[in-house]
Amino acid sequence: MIPQRRSVIFVGLVAAACRAGAPRAELPLPPPSPTPGDTTCTIAVGRAAARDTVRFAVTDPVDLKHAPLPRNDAERLVFGQLYESLIRVDCQGRALPGLAAAWEQAPEDRWAFTLRESARFWDGAPVTARDVLASWRSRDATLAASLTVTGDRSFTIPASAAPFQRLGDQALAVTKPAPGGGWPIGTGRYWMTSGDPASPDVLVMQPMARTGQPVVTVAAMPASAARDALDGEAGVLMTDDPAALEYARTLSGYVDLPLEWNRTYVLLAPGRDKPVLGDLRLESLREAVHGDARPAEWSGPGRFWFADLQACGIPTGRDTLGTAGRRRRIVYNQGDRSTADLAARLVGLGALGRGAVAASVPATAFESSLRAGTDAAYVVELRRRVYDVCRAARELPPWISSATIEPLLDIRSHAVVRRGLPRMTLDWDGTLRLAPP
Amino acid sequence: MTFRARLLLGFGAVVLVPLTVFGLRIRAVMADRLTAEYQQRVAALVWVIRADLDQRSRGIALRLAALRDAIAQDNRFRSAVLQGGERTYLLDYAGDAMRVAGLSLLQIQDETGRIVSSGHFRNEYDQSDPALPRLLAAAPAGTALVEARGAEAPFLALARVDSLRLGGRRLTLVGGIAVDSTFLARLTPDSELTVAVRLPPDTTSGTDPATQVVNAVAVPFVTAGDSARLVPARIVVSHSLASLVALRRGVAVSFLVAVLVTGLIALLLASWLSTRISRPLTALAAKTADVDMDRLDVAFDSDRSDEIGALSRLLGAMTERLRAGAARLREAERRLAMGDLARQVNHDIKNGLIPIRNVFRHLGQAAGESPDRLAAAFRDRQATVESSISYLENLASNYARLYPQPARESCDVNAVVRETISRISNTGQAELRLELADGLAPARTDALVLRRILDNLIGNAVDSLAARAGRVTVSTGVSGEGGVRITVSDTGTGMTKEELNRAFDDFYTTKLGGTGLGLSIVRRLVLDANGALRVETEPGAGSRFIVELPGEGA
Repeated sequence: MIPQRRSVIFVGLVAAACRAGAPRAELPLPPPSPTPGDTTCTIAVGRAAARDTVRFAVTDPVDLKHAPLPRNDAERLVFGQLYESLIRVDCQGRALPGLAAAWEQAPEDRWAFTLRESARFWDGAPVTARDVLASWRSRDATLAASLTVTGDRSFTIPASAAPFQRLGDQALAVTKPAPGGGWPIGTGRYWMTSGDPASPDVLVMQPMARTGQPVVTVAAMPASAARDALDGEAGVLMTDDPAALEYARTLSGYVDLPLEWNRTYVLLAPGRDKPVLGDLRLESLREAVHGDARPAEWSGPGRFWFADLQACGIPTGRDTLGTAGRRRRIVYNQGDRSTADLAARLVGLGALGRGAVAASVPATAFESSLRAGTDAAYVVELRRRVYDVCRAARELPPWISSATIEPLLDIRSHAVVRRGLPRMTLDWDGTLRLAPP
Repeated sequence: MTFRARLLLGFGAVVLVPLTVFGLRIRAVMADRLTAEYQQRVAALVWVIRADLDQRSRGIALRLAALRDAIAQDNRFRSAVLQGGERTYLLDYAGDAMRVAGLSLLQIQDETGRIVSSGHFRNEYDQSDPALPRLLAAAPAGTALVEARGAEAPFLALARVDSLRLGGRRLTLVGGIAVDSTFLARLTPDSELTVAVRLPPDTTSGTDPATQVVNAVAVPFVTAGDSARLVPARIVVSHSLASLVALRRGVAVSFLVAVLVTGLIALLLASWLSTRISRPLTALAAKTADVDMDRLDVAFDSDRSDEIGALSRLLGAMTERLRAGAARLREAERRLAMGDLARQVNHDIKNGLIPIRNVFRHLGQAAGESPDRLAAAFRDRQATVESSISYLENLASNYARLYPQPARESCDVNAVVRETISRISNTGQAELRLELADGLAPARTDALVLRRILDNLIGNAVDSLAARAGRVTVSTGVSGEGGVRITVSDTGTGMTKEELNRAFDDFYTTKLGGTGLGLSIVRRLVLDANGALRVETEPGAGSRFIVELPGEGA
């Protein structure tokens, strides 16, 4: 019992440290890298035991079409093992070497980067500066245009091209297309295999290094099967299902690690110039959802990144539809139970007045429904932390500048980690990576 | 209207009118019986729905009682309610319990009406709705329809209320089952029956007695909103009359087809029958039309045994009697003519004999008184005797020509006309003109008879000029079917109507020294030759005699 208690205490300290250092909407210029041996953002549950295979279990779907930019916690966990951006930003917001082994200030207010000498694509090809340029062209043409190749493994970019920490954004991970349209070929420590034909639903990731690292399998399952994953000795379970978490706490071989509050649910009401929730008792919202939640709050300096979008030059659009022209519905994504709970609670509280209803829209159609803005309000999940506020703002619906955004709840997932698992690191955006041995 | 048309109309009426009346009556009876049956079915379903609602109400009550007992035994629930622990368990309790109990609506309220847990709308907790259990408790039989709130949409439920005491607090359970399309569909075993819920204020909308049979079950209803109250609603059972309308339409179409087919058959039958009846009548009428005094040889023979046969035989007998009468009439006429002829002959002979007798008296007187003057007297009166004898000879010759015996032979009409004209033209009394048709087929008659006919007609024509300048034209041509027409026209005095009427009588004449037998002889000769004679005349303008003789092929 004593080792277990020590491990829990250690993890609790890690989490507390992350919470203390992280809550900032925008990153400062690159702070000093952590000193070697700093384990502030390291997760270790008990003594790591040598393993051939580590099984990840996730309750969100993993879609290769999203790679390398994750859309949920499961994809963040998987893509984090497969793809690298130039730098990593740890849970404290500190820049760490990623694909780039080093960087320094260069003349004309530029940053000069040198790629890691051992960096290889999955197919064995060395990663060059031109590969970085080619990869960025498809993600951020402006940033790519500012890149100047100075050597086979070196290049420079203007310091004003992007916030420095944005270079750790998975959206800027260096990849190249795979022949046949499979998983994009990355540079991470793992590469995605074609899987096991006997278990087509299980992804199999092989380590690039021949020794020292286990094979990782990823099984996506519904939340109701999460407990089965624990019984099946999964190494890591990423979930926010309260039943699974409650069950995990009864298992001595597992430790429940609450991750960062990384999502905030908001109510978007297009065409409204005043708060739509008024005097409603929003503190009761926490009980409406079944996951780990708290009333939305921004505890750091400033405000939520979406609280002021005019700084990004988002034009103030004119509402042509009008409030009366919209259906009195609170629309939510059918695939997200928390949004369903929140929409139902808002209806229960009388938001939008008597007669308003909650309406589910299939996940595949929710994005287009949201962009149309023909309903009175939408419950939407937003990331609490973004590397580039303006880029994130542009992903919001076009009518956002004339909309009311009401923060509702902060949500977080939990990582249920099996004791003796290899160490993992936690990044600023919540990405968990298996640390090298 | 013809007999045939009357027969057709009568036949149609006799067949179609009863059939139409029969069809309309069948339709009416069928509609009445089906409507009555629909009403019975609707009434039966209303009874079943009442029983079903009672049974479901008892089922809800039993489930609420079971939940009430389970809640009383549940320490986690007790702790959450009384001590504020495990809030999530409390909020989720009604949802789990509702599903386990098979309910669609479950709401747990505290004594103030605050919702502590809701199964159908999990996130309506802490809302206040004290009127609902109060009104449900006041409803007849403790059951009422309720418009329950839902996150996605409100829904209708059949609900009851129960309560329990927990640690000094009173909790109210409102439970029910959804009254949705599935619920209503289970009540309607028949697809033609429709069950619908009509809520206030408009509980009658959508029910049209003209198109459906309607009955209803009254059910109390708890209105939603701040001013909730108990009002009557109705579960309306209706049976559409659409199938009946379709059936009636089908029957009507079938009857219409039957009427049309029957009518067509009737018309064809009537047509055939009328043809069978009217054809012999028409033939009989045509034969009857042919009958006149000159043609009484029309045969009315028939072997039919029906009325038409009898009528035909009667007409035949009548024609026979007419023939006999005509023969008697002709005999009488002949005898009358013979009497007239005898009187004429007597008169003429007397006229011829009187001078002779006078001569002989004179000769006898001379022989007796002065025989020496007998020879002188004879010479003196010889011319008178010879004249009288000549007169008598002429008279005998004329009478001998009254009844020639014509021969039936081929006769070149143009040749006979030319020969007659050449003979008459030698007299030089008038202008004679010939207009003879080329290639005229020969007539079938006696050339001598034709010559006598032409002699008389041309002679009369010449005589009609009365020594004035004039013209007599003889023309020939084709008549009818292969016959020959001879026309003798003059520009003479013509005849009055009275003269024309007697022109063909024997011994009628307007000429000085005429015998009055010429035209009479002509008429008889033409008729004996199976020909025809017509006269067109105008006083002062002349006359036109047209003789038509049968052709060679007649």
